[in-house]
Amino acid sequence: MEATKELLYKMADDALIIGHRNSEWTGIGPMLEEDLAFSSMAQDKIGHAFALYNILHTAFGEADPDTLAFKRSEKDFRSAQFLELPIGEYDFSLIRHFLFDHAEHLRYDSLAQSTFQPLAQLAKKVKGEIKYHVMHADTFLKQLGKGSEESHARLQSAINYSWPYALGVFEPGAHEAELISTGTFIGEEALKDLWLARVTPIIEAAGFSVPATTQEQVVYGGRKGFHSEHLASLLAEMTEVTNIDIDAEW
Amino acid sequence: MAELNSLDPRVLRLDLKKIEDGDVATNTHLITYEVFHQEKRGKQAVHAGVVHASTPDMALVMAKETFGRRGKTAAIWVVKTSEIYTLASEDEDMFETTPEKLHREPGFYKVRDRIEAYQKRTAVPQQ
Amino acid sequence: MYGNAYISPEDAKRMNESTDDAENLEIFEARITRGEKIEPGDWMPAEYRKQLIRMIEQHAHSEIVGALPEGTWITRAPNFRRKLALIAKVQDEIGHGQLLYSAAETLGKTREQMLADLISGKSKYSNVFNYPALTWADVAVIGFLVDGAAIVNQVINQKGSYGPYCRALERICYEESFHLKQGHDNFVYLATGSPKQRAMLQEAVNRWYRPLLHFFGPSDRDSQHSEKLMKWKIKLASNDDMRNQFLDQYIPKIWELGLTLPDPELKRNDNGIWEFGDPDWAEFKRVISGDGPCNAERLEVRRYAEEAGRWVRTALMNKDERYVVPLA
Ligand SMILES: [Fe+2]
Ligand SMILES: [Fe+2]
Repeated sequence: MEATKELLYKMADDALIIGHRNSEWTGIGPMLEEDLAFSSMAQDKIGHAFALYNILHTAFGEADPDTLAFKRSEKDFRSAQFLELPIGEYDFSLIRHFLFDHAEHLRYDSLAQSTFQPLAQLAKKVKGEIKYHVMHADTFLKQLGKGSEESHARLQSAINYSWPYALGVFEPGAHEAELISTGTFIGEEALKDLWLARVTPIIEAAGFSVPATTQEQVVYGGRKGFHSEHLASLLAEMTEVTNIDIDAEW
Repeated sequence: MAELNSLDPRVLRLDLKKIEDGDVATNTHLITYEVFHQEKRGKQAVHAGVVHASTPDMALVMAKETFGRRGKTAAIWVVKTSEIYTLASEDEDMFETTPEKLHREPGFYKVRDRIEAYQKRTAVPQQ
Repeated sequence: MYGNAYISPEDAKRMNESTDDAENLEIFEARITRGEKIEPGDWMPAEYRKQLIRMIEQHAHSEIVGALPEGTWITRAPNFRRKLALIAKVQDEIGHGQLLYSAAETLGKTREQMLADLISGKSKYSNVFNYPALTWADVAVIGFLVDGAAIVNQVINQKGSYGPYCRALERICYEESFHLKQGHDNFVYLATGSPKQRAMLQEAVNRWYRPLLHFFGPSDRDSQHSEKLMKWKIKLASNDDMRNQFLDQYIPKIWELGLTLPDPELKRNDNGIWEFGDPDWAEFKRVISGDGPCNAERLEVRRYAEEAGRWVRTALMNKDERYVVPLA
């Protein structure tokens, strides 16, 4: 039970934080059509967060989704540090979307077979949404890879910068063995291998290279509640209105 | 650009100083694709609008959220605007008399009166 | 939202004098009189094309600039429901811009040229977006009342003569009804919520009252009419008529919640005409000519979006492809 809760919390927090970050692009994207697409994907992510918090609420008696998202303290968040980083310029946001959404795609794909039914059902339900997220990311990566010298250089440096953070998404939790033995989830290590096998050829086919990274460089911590300074300010901003009158209905 | 004292925390995080003042260039507009949207299987795909894109792949990715973010969608088609051919607007008059070709319409063929007259004339029992 | 074209008096005057190919003009005008739409491939007077581009472009600018005041609160929406609603609403405004720029493109001006004219200040957008959204309650007021005003305008414009613009508006009006409903929902929650929430809302209503009166432009008495704009169904209702329709629909919905408006002279006459105190048209003129609280920021943010996105568009461009004007 603790194992499943841990899995749900980190997935929900990941989805909330990346959805929140990517929604910042709404209205200021690099072209109008992309503004719409990026915003829709951010909304999907926030929807996934809601669904996951709701499983915690209904299956485990945790607080309701709004309370979990808007009234928890920063150290209780289990999201990967990668996702709390500011949106930066579009090159970074695109690469983060590409790297993280492939991980999400494979994670949900494997969870469709989970013995924990609510998660298996959710995974089947959002399959199509995530398929689009990945299609979107791959299309842009491919186009911008062969686009201009500038686009190529920008994306390669975004890949280099993001890589240790992206690997940090697969930081093992405290209950990996239990999740695996109960058939709840394949575990972060196995997911990471699937992910590397998936993204490496796409990155290379688009004309980029995968940076070499040592294990020490991988940015862990998020899954244990250790975050960069960005999460605290993100949450302070996100809950600013709620906190005007914490007991009110908004 | 001078400092902006924005109320929008997102704007405060943008690197506005990186952007130079002056007129913006107008030489990076992409070509357009016309988008067709099929709401349900079995229905016609209907023209929905256009998207700016560089390739068919990208046009489809863009069209999905531009024209398919509400309600049902069974399929989306895109075609480069430059690949669509139309009759000229002034040739619309070629169709002017078409609605008058009533011999092609079902309503043109009315024989009920004739049947009833025949029945009266020949005393076929009326139903 | 917000296709409230501001047509300068000089233009209106020139339009009334303009002459064009007489025979084509007759066919063109007869079509409009019959209630038929004009399509992109049709012959049209140069002045019609020009004024339509100007109007649709301004409307499009208003959509994407209009995304900014509410966008101020995207990262601070107080719960899942409001967060999703606000992002989707602001997203729609960008979508409206997309549809409208495309409609204007059918008349021969590229999207980038229109955006360049917005950023250089050559082309206007709705004045209402030069005001700030100071608090979360401003989001409720914008979603409910500014969108409400925009809907009045857009529903009327839908009866205009230019096919692509009408088609864009059809889709836009459908989406606007979601904007209005979510705005009203937010508005009602604040109005019926805690004393703090209610006070926030009342203050926001007070702030937006005057910009809302300005929304439909100067009084008919002071704005130059162009018979031709009316005849060509580019403009379909007078500023005062639209304003009155807005007040008639929305003031009661504010009052029914026990909220007040900062105008002791505001009242509905027996003939259905609303009276209001001096809305300070001098302020309207001052803001529209660039001196409002947020003009500089709005343009600066749009400039950023254009310039920061340029490398993406440059990389996507295919030199072998020839841009042609979209069909519809
Ligand atoms: Fe709109
Ligand atoms: Fe709207």
